[in-house]
Amino acid sequence: MTTSAEPRVARRRSIRRSGAAVARPGFAWAAPATLFFLLFAVLPLVLVAVLSFTDWDGLGSPQYAGLDNWKALIHDHVMIQSLWLSVLITVLGVVVQTPLSILLGVWAAGKQRNRAILSAIYFVPLLLSATAVSILWRALLDPNFGVPSQAKWLFGDGNLFGHQTSAIGVLVFVGAWQYTPFHTLIYQGAARAVPQVLYQAAEIDGAGTIRQFFHITLPQLRNTMITSMILMVVGGLTTFDTVLILTQGGPGTDTTISAYYMYQKAFKSFDFGGGSAIALVLVLIATVISLVVVKVSGYDKMRSSSEGL
Amino acid sequence: MTKRWLPRAAAGTVVLALGLTLAACGGGSSSSSGSGSFKVLVYGDASNKVEKQIIDTFNKTSKVKAVLQTIPGADYQQKLQTIINTKQAPDVFFNWGGGSIAPFVKAGLLLPLDDFIAKDPGLKSNFLPSVFNSAAVDGKAYGIPMRGTQPVLMFDNKKVLSDAGLTEPKTWDDLLNAVKVLKAKHITPIALGGGDQWPTLMWYEYMYDRIAGPGLFEKAMGGDKSAWDSADSRAALAKLKELIDAGAFGTNFDSVKYTDGGSVALVAQGKAGFELMGSWYYSQQQQDNPDFAKSGLGFSSFPTVAGGKGDPTDVVGNTNNFYSVLKKTKYPDAIAQFLKLQYSDEFVKAQMAIGNLPTTTNTVNFLNTAAIPDYSKFQYDLVKAAPSFQLSWDQAYPQTASEAMHTAVQQFFDGKLDADGFIKAMQALPTS
Repeated sequence: MTTSAEPRVARRRSIRRSGAAVARPGFAWAAPATLFFLLFAVLPLVLVAVLSFTDWDGLGSPQYAGLDNWKALIHDHVMIQSLWLSVLITVLGVVVQTPLSILLGVWAAGKQRNRAILSAIYFVPLLLSATAVSILWRALLDPNFGVPSQAKWLFGDGNLFGHQTSAIGVLVFVGAWQYTPFHTLIYQGAARAVPQVLYQAAEIDGAGTIRQFFHITLPQLRNTMITSMILMVVGGLTTFDTVLILTQGGPGTDTTISAYYMYQKAFKSFDFGGGSAIALVLVLIATVISLVVVKVSGYDKMRSSSEGL
Repeated sequence: MTKRWLPRAAAGTVVLALGLTLAACGGGSSSSSGSGSFKVLVYGDASNKVEKQIIDTFNKTSKVKAVLQTIPGADYQQKLQTIINTKQAPDVFFNWGGGSIAPFVKAGLLLPLDDFIAKDPGLKSNFLPSVFNSAAVDGKAYGIPMRGTQPVLMFDNKKVLSDAGLTEPKTWDDLLNAVKVLKAKHITPIALGGGDQWPTLMWYEYMYDRIAGPGLFEKAMGGDKSAWDSADSRAALAKLKELIDAGAFGTNFDSVKYTDGGSVALVAQGKAGFELMGSWYYSQQQQDNPDFAKSGLGFSSFPTVAGGKGDPTDVVGNTNNFYSVLKKTKYPDAIAQFLKLQYSDEFVKAQMAIGNLPTTTNTVNFLNTAAIPDYSKFQYDLVKAAPSFQLSWDQAYPQTASEAMHTAVQQFFDGKLDADGFIKAMQALPTS
């Protein structure tokens, strides 16, 4: 009895020791990443926080200004409008892109003829930079020489960038044109991973294509939808280049979203204190949103989608 | 194991990170550091041809070499301001005079050119005084003119006008009449790149000058905000409103840009009659529509406004561009020699050949060698006769004001701000 117990204990110990070495590598492995994070994320963030309490035009040294920038921000109607616009553009982006990319992704996951070629063409916008895409659409939507001049019945006088609603519409459209292919790609992968057994069983039960889509495909894509939407929200809130090139925040301040407003304050009006205050507000909002998303989506629990199969 | 290499890895990472930052800072300037050379930073565009030529000429005889650096695009001012207080700062840089250098002077970064001028009075006396003085801050000279003058002119499509039985408008009423006639023919009377905002501003600059004279703007910029609320200011806004309401600019000017060639093409293709633009418009048309520039493009000065207090021969625009010198430069003597080249015959001839009109006193000798002599002569006479040359508002005001100014200008044109709103917005602008 005693003789057989001893080696077992020893073996358990040795397993624990080697197991610990594999499962928990030393902090050293994280050191490079941590250092980079401190140097390029935390340090600038602290500096921006300090700057937000100063008055600085980029020349000389910043002057301490107390809460001036923050007080100005609270009473700044452009700032409040810009937050609302950021949210609006993000929500519209999700609403437009999600159904489109689900349908396209599921279709692209199938086995139709010519599907591969069409998909390849369809992914081209994804390869272009947002700047190139914006310049392209700006030219295409020119009221006198672009598409609107040929399709007056649809565009009227073509003053797309002169009204708030149409300017926002263009921003959402161009964003969708560029990023829907990316989300389609994600949904295509997810749709391919849905077990064929489910469809075979449904067919035996007499369910048609549409029923199969709503009762098998969509529920199986649930986790992919969360991932894709998180990416859309992040992309929507950080929209900048399209605004810079397509509308420059105009007409007036009608499309001045928060990220662009921050740039405008800091790098066009050389009010780095005010720009920093906006930047901090954006950091705060982004943190809250990501915490909420993680909580609501159950992303933190890493639930398996294979449960119940 | 782990413990021993951790500090080393950490140290390595820091070195790597520092190396990256340093490498990033050193980009672009490595070629000019160390040896005897100074950096000349210039707005990147077609005129760089002449700047390159002058620098080559300078380097042939000078021991200290000049190195040309260009920043392309409209972001010049932003990029300049972010580097001017760092090691990457140029020794000599391009600017618009006035408010564009005032903050640098205030921060004590620029070298007053008085000593240069004391040694060589020609550095001042060889330039037209009205132009030279627009780069003075607090009575001290901080810039030497280095390109051509850029008055804002009324350009037109000659064929469109003659087909409609019109001539170039001399008075405000002529202009309103032309608007009516062209509109009836379904032609946009006046092309406007409202999407860029600064072309819209040109209309205000001329209206205020014609109706109130240059004094009102000077007063407002000097800090007297009541100037914006004066009767003259309101009269100028009312005239502008009259023009807008007459449909002079069509309905979609906010979606049109000058910078992408939209408004330029409207005039060249006969879809619009006029465009108000700086004198660089000619070279733009020459590049985009050479045939039209040669025979179809007309030009005239801004119409007179009856009852206005401003002199009808006043002009607005950019008086010129300037070279300013940084105080901390190591080579002030070489730079003084370099600046002298900006009034040399070679410089004037080279600028004239690309259609620019230098503001030196010897320019008049070379008017016949210009790319388009008629056009150069017209500009020369206009600028020389003008009692006042109002620097563009967005260049005269400090850079911190330009964004809010552009927004207000655009909003008044598309009816989002009324006169009261516009006046309030202008009064809120920082003047120093």
